[in-house]
Amino acid sequence: MFRHIDPRSPIPLYVQIANRLRVAVATGEVVPATPLPSVRQLAAEIRVNPATVVQAYRELERDGIVESRQGAGTFVRELAEPKRASERQREARRLVRALVAQASGLALTREDLEHAWKNETGGRS
Amino acid sequence: MLPTGAPGFELRDVSLKVRQGAIYGFLGPNGAGKTTTIQLLLGLLRPQGGSISVLGRQVPLELPRILGATGYIPERPHLYPFLTVAQAIRFHGAFYRGFDWAYAEELRRGFDLRGEAKLARLSKGEMGKLHVLLVLAQRPELLVLDEPTDGLDPVVRRDGLSALLDFCSQGAATVFISSHLVHELERICDWIGVLDRGRLVAELPMHAFKNGIKRIRLDHAPSLIGDTPFLLVSRQQSALDQVWVVRGWQPTMVQWFQGAGAKVKEIVDLDLEEGFVELLRGARTPTS
Repeated sequence: MFRHIDPRSPIPLYVQIANRLRVAVATGEVVPATPLPSVRQLAAEIRVNPATVVQAYRELERDGIVESRQGAGTFVRELAEPKRASERQREARRLVRALVAQASGLALTREDLEHAWKNETGGRS
Repeated sequence: MLPTGAPGFELRDVSLKVRQGAIYGFLGPNGAGKTTTIQLLLGLLRPQGGSISVLGRQVPLELPRILGATGYIPERPHLYPFLTVAQAIRFHGAFYRGFDWAYAEELRRGFDLRGEAKLARLSKGEMGKLHVLLVLAQRPELLVLDEPTDGLDPVVRRDGLSALLDFCSQGAATVFISSHLVHELERICDWIGVLDRGRLVAELPMHAFKNGIKRIRLDHAPSLIGDTPFLLVSRQQSALDQVWVVRGWQPTMVQWFQGAGAKVKEIVDLDLEEGFVELLRGARTPTS
């Protein structure tokens, strides 16, 4: 799941990890009540500083995506649809923002992008 | 620290501060003096001036207590090649009061090292893993690793790193890793110190290093500059434009360029390796 965590990105690692989980919860990839891996497990698995995982989990908890239960671990919460939709939107906007920034750096126009979108998605919406 | 190394080589102006519980990456090109610094920290070399304190204790006065709580993997570690893995563990463990034999066994299994294998027969990667096993099983307060992954294949590096991080998750050990392999440190370090030609040129939290340093592509960059709101690291003329590398960048600083008649074409984030290269470039050449 965390294959695309990029330490070279200007986005802090803990934000990348939290965002990945956020989207997974919002799209239903990870269902409510799923236990998250322990800090120890995840840090060793994706090879990041344990403090980074702690920070990511803390941020998710603060935003109401997960809850930690004393002694039992950290679990995914049930999110209402409006919240899930807004998280999906947030991630989609992030992707588009990156695309637009890159495209304008290359002086590609909106028409160029729309044309490419149609071609790549075969006309599907 | 104001020590002297080999004749003709000096460390000067090195004020290192490693906070407890940090994973501190000590970066620098080959020959910068990283190993010399480590040798000074562990009492293997004596300084000519300055003071050294590790784990709250003075070097060299309280060296035995420091070394008892420190796991050290030197650049070229040495173990007696006629020992088996099991014997090497027993030998090393005997020196440390708190040596965790069960943890050593768990690591040995996890690293897939046969107890009866003679050290002389182990591959480089297996030796590397054995050294990690030995220092982690000490359950030290401080880990000092000098170029720990150099020459090891990626699989071994990952396994070693995972075990190290697993260990860090369990407690509040402080880790001091010196390396010129910047990419690995980027994932795990929360502090970095950069050494170049015997001088510490930067020491700051990882996020501050990565966020603050930018490459700026410009047209009509000013040739003479007075005070800048940022720290100018280097200036270069490329084929297409001028490129400035700055530290302490804030987005509002674009106005400074506009006021100077320059046009900012692009602001690029530098990853740790690029930031490191630019920092060294800036430290070595005057920019005014």
